[in-house]
Amino acid sequence: MAVETRSGIPLSPAVLAILLSLAEGEKHGYAMMKDARSPRGGGIAMGPGTLYGSVDRMMRDGLVEESDKQDDERRRYYRLTRRGREVLAVELKRLDATVAAARSLGLLPHGGRS
Amino acid sequence: MNVRMEWLYAQALRCYPPEFRASYAKAMEQSFRDALRDDEMPRGLLVRIVLRDLVVSLVKEHMTMLRDSLTRPALVFNALVLAGIATGVALALYAIPQHVLRSGLNDPQIQMAGDLAARLEQGAAPDEVVSRGVRVDMARSLAPFVIVYDEQGHPLASQGVLNGSVPAPPSGVFDSVRQRGEERLSWQPVRGRDGVRIAAVVKRVNGAHPVFVLAGRNMREVEARIGDVQTMAGLTWVGMLGLIVVATVVFGIYSRPKSAGRYQTAAEKG
Repeated sequence: MAVETRSGIPLSPAVLAILLSLAEGEKHGYAMMKDARSPRGGGIAMGPGTLYGSVDRMMRDGLVEESDKQDDERRRYYRLTRRGREVLAVELKRLDATVAAARSLGLLPHGGRS
Repeated sequence: MNVRMEWLYAQALRCYPPEFRASYAKAMEQSFRDALRDDEMPRGLLVRIVLRDLVVSLVKEHMTMLRDSLTRPALVFNALVLAGIATGVALALYAIPQHVLRSGLNDPQIQMAGDLAARLEQGAAPDEVVSRGVRVDMARSLAPFVIVYDEQGHPLASQGVLNGSVPAPPSGVFDSVRQRGEERLSWQPVRGRDGVRIAAVVKRVNGAHPVFVLAGRNMREVEARIGDVQTMAGLTWVGMLGLIVVATVVFGIYSRPKSAGRYQTAAEKG
């Protein structure tokens, strides 16, 4: 619960998409944008301004951090922090409960993805 | 084509707050460059995404910068102190002229009530000292008038009339005058929002037949002037608060701590 009260859960679609993207490992800006746009990232069409604005706020909240990885001095890589991973888990659990509730109401088919 | 779009995007990035730009502009340009070179990204979709992103994130980052700039405790405290001073000055701008105008309104009545009381104390009858030929419509005229009341507060002689009759102040006024000798009051003979208001001076006349003397005059003109003063003081107050807000915003932006660490890169922090 402490994580929920401090981390702005429910997360915004952009923040959730960034956390999901970084859950796979360190990523640079465009890789995160591309992941977010894909179906598994939530289909979020995010531009560089939204991405880096969100990343900046997530860094201040301790959800992500910049990594030392550098393949191009203009590219900046980011990774999840332990806290970011905890927040992501809490948010996914919340979403899972919401989906389960929707299934119980007959709004989604049982036993698989819609 | 790509070079031109990169150049245009780089120019658009100049609209972001300076610190955000200093930290992320290069990375944003690189992300845009990567998107341009991505064959899976339709050019039209990219342009739409970036245009919408520019508008939304520009507003958001400027709002964030303003919030960070203006919520510093020292800045908020200074603004509140200045707002308090401005409020005090505006209240004084209203209260002092209002007091001077209102108290000055009593001047002729003080003299008239005093003169009338002196003549009555010398034994003159009320009918003699109150000019019978003078009739002042209390609702319309700004001329001062006098009324003499008996011990019970019933009118004995009057120059002033309101709606065809002579009104009397509440009995509490006479009780107070009995104890203190004189009262200066704003009297509203007929209750209601648009009722006539009279600046009245009431004096006690002792003797074999004690009476009360009231000298009054309509407050309409002076109340209009007081209303003007109130409007000017209110506008001054709003203007001062506006100046404080503008000055606080400008000062807050230009006095932001440059090393707040908010937009530092890993290399800078390291």
